[in-house]
Amino acid sequence: MKAVLFAVAALLAVCIPISAKQCNVNPVNIPKGWITMQQSCRGSMRRQIQTEVGASLQYLAMGAHFSRDGINRPGFAKLFFDAASEEREHAMKLIDYLLMRGELETDVTSLIQIRAPERKSWESGVDALEHALKMETEVTKSIRSVIIACESDPKFNDYHLVDYLTGEFLEEQYKGQRDLAGKASTLKKMLDRHSSLGEFLFDKKLLGMDI
Amino acid sequence: MKMFAFLFGCMLASGAFAADTCYQDVSMDCGQASNSLALPRCNAVFGNYGRHGNVATEMQAYANLHLERSYEYLLSASYYNNYQTNRAGFSKLFRKLSDEAWEKSIELIKHITKRGDTMDFARRSTQEEKTDKNYTVELHELESLAKALDTQKELAERAFYIHREATRNSPHTHDPEIAQYLEEEFVEKQADTIRNLAGHTADLKKFILANNGQDLSLALYLFDEYLQKVV
Ligand SMILES: [Fe+2]
Ligand SMILES: [Fe+2]
Repeated sequence: MKAVLFAVAALLAVCIPISAKQCNVNPVNIPKGWITMQQSCRGSMRRQIQTEVGASLQYLAMGAHFSRDGINRPGFAKLFFDAASEEREHAMKLIDYLLMRGELETDVTSLIQIRAPERKSWESGVDALEHALKMETEVTKSIRSVIIACESDPKFNDYHLVDYLTGEFLEEQYKGQRDLAGKASTLKKMLDRHSSLGEFLFDKKLLGMDI
Repeated sequence: MKMFAFLFGCMLASGAFAADTCYQDVSMDCGQASNSLALPRCNAVFGNYGRHGNVATEMQAYANLHLERSYEYLLSASYYNNYQTNRAGFSKLFRKLSDEAWEKSIELIKHITKRGDTMDFARRSTQEEKTDKNYTVELHELESLAKALDTQKELAERAFYIHREATRNSPHTHDPEIAQYLEEEFVEKQADTIRNLAGHTADLKKFILANNGQDLSLALYLFDEYLQKVV
């Protein structure tokens, strides 16, 4: 009896197909000739986005360190938390650029991975400023390598992206590096004879406090 | 009798009333011949934060969860801004979720250090379900709203869990400061977000079912325009 019922049900399922609910609109076909970014340029841009995300996490760790009760350097913490948000914005700007050029139709999920930052503590404010400066120097180097990848493709010199990276990103890198180097040097001079007082005063200066 | 008094004194010193301990460190060390001034008890830890129970570790994991969700939402926002999907409203919705989660992770880190603890970026919650290897942000509209709703509920329910751990009727884990922090800065807003997302899925559901699905493509277009206005 059960078998008969099952057979009837199966027959019904074949004869009267219930149309599947469709919850989405099918993708459409759009000409693709305008999408001109090349493989190696695209790959290095994607890696650069991950680099910016990694920098944002490392700056968060610096902010966390200088927020500790026993460290108590809120000015440094603010500097580094702000830097973390800036790095996140850099990642977003690069993503927006890719989107403008017709990229990120697929392989979006694998663009960003979150890993715990490598370093968790710093000897002093100077130590962290110098670490930040080294990090930024590395980022500058990697932006230059994206530029090289995007201008030297034999099929397509990506002038516009190269211009964008040179004009916007390298500009910000060089300004940022100069700022960090200046801060590190001022602080180092203040520490020369008055180590703990120097860092204390410099920290309040970073907070925007006049004392 | 003396022994009893001594024990009682020790209990006072190490018990819930941890008064004077930083002061004791100071009076012990200042004026001593040695060069060190460790003052181990002059810290921000009070109550039993980080000493008993799992509230402190769960707070670290909560910051990490916000961090991960923040970048996942950012990827969803990006996906909805490619030329094929081209849904500026959905993109805006996810971008807002991303911004909020990012800000909350920084606030949580600050709060963890406010309570005298350090941030551990590798910490995971004991409540965490196994990580989904098939996770993708490349979903259609209703699927992506469903994911957003689920992950926002996860954030809210994690706050409930930490709140429960912080308000258990135990002198060792009771932490009203954390409980009120979660109430004030998290659960109220989360309830709004969850309600809004649930409302969006209800609207999309109606569009999908209505008129044998004939309305869907135009409905999604209009709904996206609507999201651009309200998010
Ligand atoms: Fe950057
Ligand atoms: Fe930077």
